[in-house]
Amino acid sequence: MTTQLIKTAAAALLFLTLWNCNTTDPEPVPYESGVYVINSGNFLDNNGSISFLPRNSSTVITDIFNAANARTFTGGVQDYTEIDGKGVVLVDNSTAGQDKVEIVLTGTFKSLKTLAAPDVENPRFVVRAGNNKAYVTCWGATGSGANFFANPGYVLVLDLAAQTITKRIPMPKAANRMVVIGNEVYVGSDAGDPTLVVINTDTDELKQPAITVGANTNPIAADANNQLWAYSGATNEMVRINPANKVIAARLKVGGSPKSPGPFAISADRRTFYFVNSFYDPADNFRQKGETYRFNIDATSIPAATPFINRLFIGLDVDPQTGTIYAGITPSFKQAGFVLRYKPDTGILTDSVRGEIAPSRFFFR
Amino acid sequence: MAQRELTPSDSVQRELGTTLSVVTVRATPPERFLAGQKIQRVDSTTVLQFRFGSLTDLLQFNTPLAFKNYGPGQLATVSFRGTSANHTAVLWNDIDINQPNLGQTDFSTLPVAGFDRLAVQYGSSASVVGSGAVGGSVLLGSAGEWRSGIGVSLGQQVSSFRNNQTQLGVRYGSSLGKNWQLSGKAFAYRSQYTNDYPYKERRNYFVEQSQTAQRGLVQDVFLRDKRGRQVSVNAWLTDNDLVLTPQDTVSRERIRTQSARLLASYEANALTLRLGWIRDRFDYAKGNFDQPDRTRTDRFLARAEREFPLWRGNTYVQTVLRVGGEWSHYRTVTDGYGGQLITENRQNLYALLRIQTPRWLVSANIRQAYVTRFNPPLTPSLGIEHKLIQQEKLILTAKASIGRSYRVPTLNERYWLVLGNPNLRPENGLNMEAGLTTTVKLTNSLALTADATVYRNRVDDWSYWNPDLGYRVENLQLVVAQGGELNTTLTYARDGWQTGIRAGYALTRSAQQRAYNVYAQDVVGKQLPYVPIHNGTLNAWIARNKNRLTVQMQTSSRRYITFDESQYFNGTVLANVLLETTLRVGSVPIRVQGQVNNVFDTLLFSVKRNALPGRNFSINLLTNFPFIKP
Repeated sequence: MTTQLIKTAAAALLFLTLWNCNTTDPEPVPYESGVYVINSGNFLDNNGSISFLPRNSSTVITDIFNAANARTFTGGVQDYTEIDGKGVVLVDNSTAGQDKVEIVLTGTFKSLKTLAAPDVENPRFVVRAGNNKAYVTCWGATGSGANFFANPGYVLVLDLAAQTITKRIPMPKAANRMVVIGNEVYVGSDAGDPTLVVINTDTDELKQPAITVGANTNPIAADANNQLWAYSGATNEMVRINPANKVIAARLKVGGSPKSPGPFAISADRRTFYFVNSFYDPADNFRQKGETYRFNIDATSIPAATPFINRLFIGLDVDPQTGTIYAGITPSFKQAGFVLRYKPDTGILTDSVRGEIAPSRFFFR
Repeated sequence: MAQRELTPSDSVQRELGTTLSVVTVRATPPERFLAGQKIQRVDSTTVLQFRFGSLTDLLQFNTPLAFKNYGPGQLATVSFRGTSANHTAVLWNDIDINQPNLGQTDFSTLPVAGFDRLAVQYGSSASVVGSGAVGGSVLLGSAGEWRSGIGVSLGQQVSSFRNNQTQLGVRYGSSLGKNWQLSGKAFAYRSQYTNDYPYKERRNYFVEQSQTAQRGLVQDVFLRDKRGRQVSVNAWLTDNDLVLTPQDTVSRERIRTQSARLLASYEANALTLRLGWIRDRFDYAKGNFDQPDRTRTDRFLARAEREFPLWRGNTYVQTVLRVGGEWSHYRTVTDGYGGQLITENRQNLYALLRIQTPRWLVSANIRQAYVTRFNPPLTPSLGIEHKLIQQEKLILTAKASIGRSYRVPTLNERYWLVLGNPNLRPENGLNMEAGLTTTVKLTNSLALTADATVYRNRVDDWSYWNPDLGYRVENLQLVVAQGGELNTTLTYARDGWQTGIRAGYALTRSAQQRAYNVYAQDVVGKQLPYVPIHNGTLNAWIARNKNRLTVQMQTSSRRYITFDESQYFNGTVLANVLLETTLRVGSVPIRVQGQVNNVFDTLLFSVKRNALPGRNFSINLLTNFPFIKP
């Protein structure tokens, strides 16, 4: 009898425990520390996403925005950064008038506010430009052919405390990448304008004059010596600029025909650049091919003879905490891509993680 | 759903005598020589209910065809039994009207108002229909009405979002001398889909802004004599003008699709001659609409068929042999091919054999196509039907068929600059299916028809715009589609009441089977994108006298949007409700249809992940002025 009672009690306890397990609401998944993988998705499918990859795990948590908000981004994800507890996601839809900036709570990814057209049109990159302040480059609406960059670009100034757009700063066409150094933001572009535009983040005004570098110049990063590096597309040069006096200190040929360099990433100690050098091979049905190289910030030339990693990536970044190289592989835009992790000194592959569609950028926190 | 739904449609036909054709339809080759295969004839009531809709709407609610829909009034392509948009033949009066550059039809550009008859033929029928009939065929046709006099019909639809349509038709018939009879139809329609939604987004998903203007003209003339000879001329002009994001003058896009289809036929008892000309124009422009990318393709077609009865003395076995030949000449000027004129010829020779006894029906067909610079395979097929039970109240038929199919590459696949591949091989398929159909008269007022079919369709050398090679096209994949379909219709008619229910279910498993590179491992065995595994349709109606209430439902399971099943759209349920009645103004009957679409306000997505419109309404008026007799 006692045995039966104990058995019954045990069974009931077990049942209750299991039942409890089943019914307890799951805690909101905290995306506290790890890597955000920015998946651009397939253009017309508007299925970009952000996945979360813990540093010590080889499984991604997919589409964390959808998990937190029960809706998807509905566009390609262009860029992501975090500013004072808020995440800013740039979403590019294939239809004009449907692009968005999603402001989310960091850690949970709960949506706080959606900013949309007509202010937001073809958003490209976002940077932190002060307390609760974001700069977002935008192309404006694009046309086709020679008239692709039909409109001048602009930078949106976002107040993340009020979650509003406070200003729109006019830019050359195709305003693109930005790098922040001190209270200055350097803005590049892709439609033939020869300058890097400089914005004073205290006043949100342009600093005159802009730095003339060459057509299609985009800033990449500031190095350990606080020198700005930019890539000039027209001349295939890495350009080192002294931000103090805006003087060009070095021009180093990089990549070169038929290969073109990019994406670029800077190491955790900010002394080494990594870059992918790629081309479409006419001898092999125009398959895209390429390798990944590196160079030191003190180098006087950038040879691309011996690959650091003999592989092509569409996304490349370095974890500033660990130095690990994160690289994105896209087998096709209609199936999940892979995130590959490499050791920074040796270029040895650590692991490969299945991700989502077109993992093209990484954000580390 | 293939079943004749006699009572309701007859009542509608009585009401609308002039609108609907009630002639004996000549049994055309695709249907006569496809023993063992499933053919679903859509009844005239259903065609009438979708009179203001596109072919997409009608097929979606009445067949398991899955559509890849880019938005209201935008591109809609079909997947039939798990195949791609290139694998469904669309025939209008027996000639293939798939746009030859794309090798497919944008079903949003084909309004139901443009044809009189509609049947859907399941499974490969390449031996009878030709290239591209791999997953199945959609058969559209015109029909003459041999009444003397003239009748005018006028239709008007007013819908939500400031959308409207107008249709004007004239039917005429008369005797010409002692021996000849004339019948004709002129029909013009226009639609304006302004899509002025009162919302910009639904549940945080954007509703895409677009406008579509559609115009069309149908002209059919039939001339027949007492000996059964018939001369006919059919013309169908369509013009579809779609503008995306019209409010943005830089990014707006315009897609203009215009087609002219002209067909002349001569049919004697044993001989059929056809001459056809089809012109397809396709313009795409972004921003500046004055400088579109242009596609111009003409097709000239000549076909001769002759039928020979064999063993005439044998009255138990009726045997017919039909032999035919077709020549078609293609001329295309397409900016994407470099803008120069490209021509090619396609010839077909075929022999179709039909053997019928009271219980057995057998067809055995063979076709060889000859295409400039190509070598399509010899395409045989064999089909058998046997009436297992044939009683007054119960008919049970077993069916089976096997057939080879092929698809000649589209013009885009061969000639598109850089990406096209002139060395593509024709795709090569083998389709097998078997099924049972039954008709049961349960009581005097209750009737049941049902059919069940299973199939397996294997297509090799499936051409694929390979993203690995910057979207160059290759004969790369091997796709096996298999599944089954169940359909049942139950009708009840008594004391002036008519009610019925028609339900269909389809299971479709379609997957790529070849690991052609290291990453293709991830897609082998996975369901093809946009093809739901489960699909169901349900139509229920109740009618008394001139009034009818219909509920149309369509449901499908999740649709994957990637090749590796990693992303998908959730399953959906879509329901429409129609209430119809006939009012009479003097002697003029006016059919009034009130329609609620998407009753449950379901959130559905276009392929581009935009929300499709929520619940919306339309009122359709169809007036048939009394037939004026001479």
